Amino acid sequence: MPGVLIVVLVLGAIGLFLALPGGRLEWTRLGLVSLAASGGALVFLIVDRAAGEAGLALFIGGALVALFSAVRIVTHRKPVYSALYFVLLVVAVAGLLIGMQAEFLAAALVIVYAGAILVTYVFVIMLAQKARPPGYDSRARDPFWGCLAGFALLAVLGRQLFLPAAVTGDTAVPGAGTVEAVGTALLTQYVVGLQVIGLLLLAALVGAIAIARRRVTAAPEPELEGAD
Amino acid sequence: MLVPYLLLGAALFSLGLIGFVTRRNLIIIFLCTEMMFQGIIVNLVALGRYPLDGRPTFDGQVFSLFLIGVAAAEAAVALALVVLLYRHRGTLDANAWTALKDE
Repeated sequence: MPGVLIVVLVLGAIGLFLALPGGRLEWTRLGLVSLAASGGALVFLIVDRAAGEAGLALFIGGALVALFSAVRIVTHRKPVYSALYFVLLVVAVAGLLIGMQAEFLAAALVIVYAGAILVTYVFVIMLAQKARPPGYDSRARDPFWGCLAGFALLAVLGRQLFLPAAVTGDTAVPGAGTVEAVGTALLTQYVVGLQVIGLLLLAALVGAIAIARRRVTAAPEPELEGAD
Repeated sequence: MLVPYLLLGAALFSLGLIGFVTRRNLIIIFLCTEMMFQGIIVNLVALGRYPLDGRPTFDGQVFSLFLIGVAAAEAAVALALVVLLYRHRGTLDANAWTALKDE
């Protein structure tokens, strides 16, 4: 495992632990600075690994935006802002997909995620709005163990990725993920899966309506806060 | 370019996992699952675009489309459940729902 990767992981873990809600605001800023340093080390690592390959600049730009918005989704104390940062994450991932010549998938991702799913999330956030900000948004649950588990997973995956000669170089012939190409694959080889996913969506919609229409008889109890 | 994309996918998945474990707002928890889906989409498309042997295929993109469908279904059911839970107790705190028994 290269030493730079260890620096990235340690700085990232410390930064995320400090930036998670629960501490004071200055610690959050310190954590964000540490995370930015971790991102810089990551850029160095990737440039070192894939120097001169096509599409590197687009990848680095998209990856930095994606990682920044991902960190803000996890650490922001206001749910509406988390949802808006998720839109930014979807746009960044769509840019990365265009870099991998998956144009149709990028368009579908933006339409379905940023257009449909996120609007539903924002509606639910507004439905569950409180007059004053509730306490559970400003206190994380076991941030130390959470960061440890997540970055241990990332360390294992990163170590495997950076084993010498684990993956070959760019042997790919460029192809384009146009509607025609993806649609042909979808309607010939994977046509059964397409039917199944349609059935799943129908079942989920019926289930969602059945759940949401249920009458609630119990009066809302007073809010339980800080019940760790 | 395969390794950087896979690393980014792993990073998005891990960040989503951390958020899923540590945040207490139910809506943020489900947003973090969607973030894990984003990491998986990056992984799938990268492995389709830069295969270890042979020509690039569109299988990764097709699987990602299925994944988007599953994510839409999951969001519909999960948000309906969140609304129901909120109407029961008036809070989105995951700690208020540690006991999932019927009342």
